[in-house]
Amino acid sequence: MVAIKDHETVQHKAQKTLLESIELKEIPVHFHCREGYCGACRTKLIKGEVEYLTFPLAYIDDDEILPCCCYPTSDIEIELA
Amino acid sequence: MKYTTFNQKNNNPLTEPMFFGNPVNVARYDQQKHQIFEKLIEKQISFFWRPEEVDVSKDRVDFQKLSDSEKHIFISNLKYQTLLDSIQGRSPNIAFLPILSLPELETWVETWSFFETIHSRSYTHILRNLFGDPSSIFNDIVENEEIKKRAADISKYYDDLIFATQLWQTLGEGVHTISGCSYNITMRELKKKLYLCMNSVNALEAIRFYVSFACTFAFAERELMEGNSKIIRLIARDENLHLTSTQHILNLWAKGKDDPEMVEIAEECKEEATEIFLNAVRQEKEWAAYLFKQGSMIGLNKEILCQYVEFIANHRMSAIGLGQPFAIKSNPLPWMNNYLNSDNVQVAPQESEISSYLVGQIDSEVNAEDFGDFDL
Ligand code: FES
Ligand SMILES: [Fe+2]
Ligand SMILES: [Fe+2]
Repeated sequence: MVAIKDHETVQHKAQKTLLESIELKEIPVHFHCREGYCGACRTKLIKGEVEYLTFPLAYIDDDEILPCCCYPTSDIEIELA
Repeated sequence: MKYTTFNQKNNNPLTEPMFFGNPVNVARYDQQKHQIFEKLIEKQISFFWRPEEVDVSKDRVDFQKLSDSEKHIFISNLKYQTLLDSIQGRSPNIAFLPILSLPELETWVETWSFFETIHSRSYTHILRNLFGDPSSIFNDIVENEEIKKRAADISKYYDDLIFATQLWQTLGEGVHTISGCSYNITMRELKKKLYLCMNSVNALEAIRFYVSFACTFAFAERELMEGNSKIIRLIARDENLHLTSTQHILNLWAKGKDDPEMVEIAEECKEEATEIFLNAVRQEKEWAAYLFKQGSMIGLNKEILCQYVEFIANHRMSAIGLGQPFAIKSNPLPWMNNYLNSDNVQVAPQESEISSYLVGQIDSEVNAEDFGDFDL
């Protein structure tokens, strides 16, 4: 489960990136590249774990994630920018 | 300290700061102090493209259909982008290479600048197709007041750093009088100039292209000037990567992951850094006003463009710890994302029928069985 601050909770879909799962619910997330190098989707991770299958190039802080290229590995809680 | 093209001191590059340590000697990438720059080099090279591979011939027909105000918008944007890439094609090399201390960062800067020269070459490709002889357009870049104003603001931080570096490398620290002017050269001052310069470059890569990008993609939404739009997409993809690099540099400094003195300087110069960014935002809004002074174009006007600049600025300022100074929360031009998305950048050269790209793909898979009855 993906709890999003100020939005409804989203069910994470297997094989989909976190961004794609959130978009299925039509919650607007900012994005440009969708490939981990621009940082447009930078999002705060409040709780839980995610993994990357490719190296995330964009700058993110220690408590931030890139939804366009990450996959949750537990229930997570996030706050969109 | 005098610059040397091959520092004979056997220093350990893993303990050097990004800038103002020992000059780089061995170009080695097996180990990196900051791995990110090696990753950025790989990514940038994987983006390689050539302007000539994008067919812009249909644009010539489209251009004739544009209204005079639309032609003004289109050409002015190309002029402005030409200026930006003229500066970026040389300045990171000239300003940063003499003071760099990490091989991976040195090569990143060279790779970055090289791609800016591809951008510059693409403007010639676009303009030559539209005009045959584009001289008058290029000549106007150094005449046009609106463009010159921006050029002065962008180049001043580079020029300042370059000049101070030259004094330092020839005369060392101290007060030097050159042609009646005195300059106080200290390491602290040099680092400050570097910090401000990096902020100015970051602002350039972050927002200075976006008014122009929005206009290009607004034409493309109407299925006009699509060759140009394909090229601009490739450029936008590269610019995003450049921005990522300057964001990393600024954050490595601010978060104390590189030179400890830069933490203090980042703190000390925060206001000035904010002002550099906000000034770029103001200039981009003025640019939007200049573009639309003869009339707007379908799908865009000055107000919405200014909002878009603020929206982008919020995101990009917060990425370097400068907060979100503008009230705007949602993207006023959501269709822009379709053009900035790399899934859609399918004009990749690999797609076209150009043989030089196919050669490497042929039979790169060779199985052991292929050598079955092959005796040595
Ligand atoms: S959309 Fe570019 S990093 Fe996520
Ligand atoms: Fe560029
Ligand atoms: Fe750039």
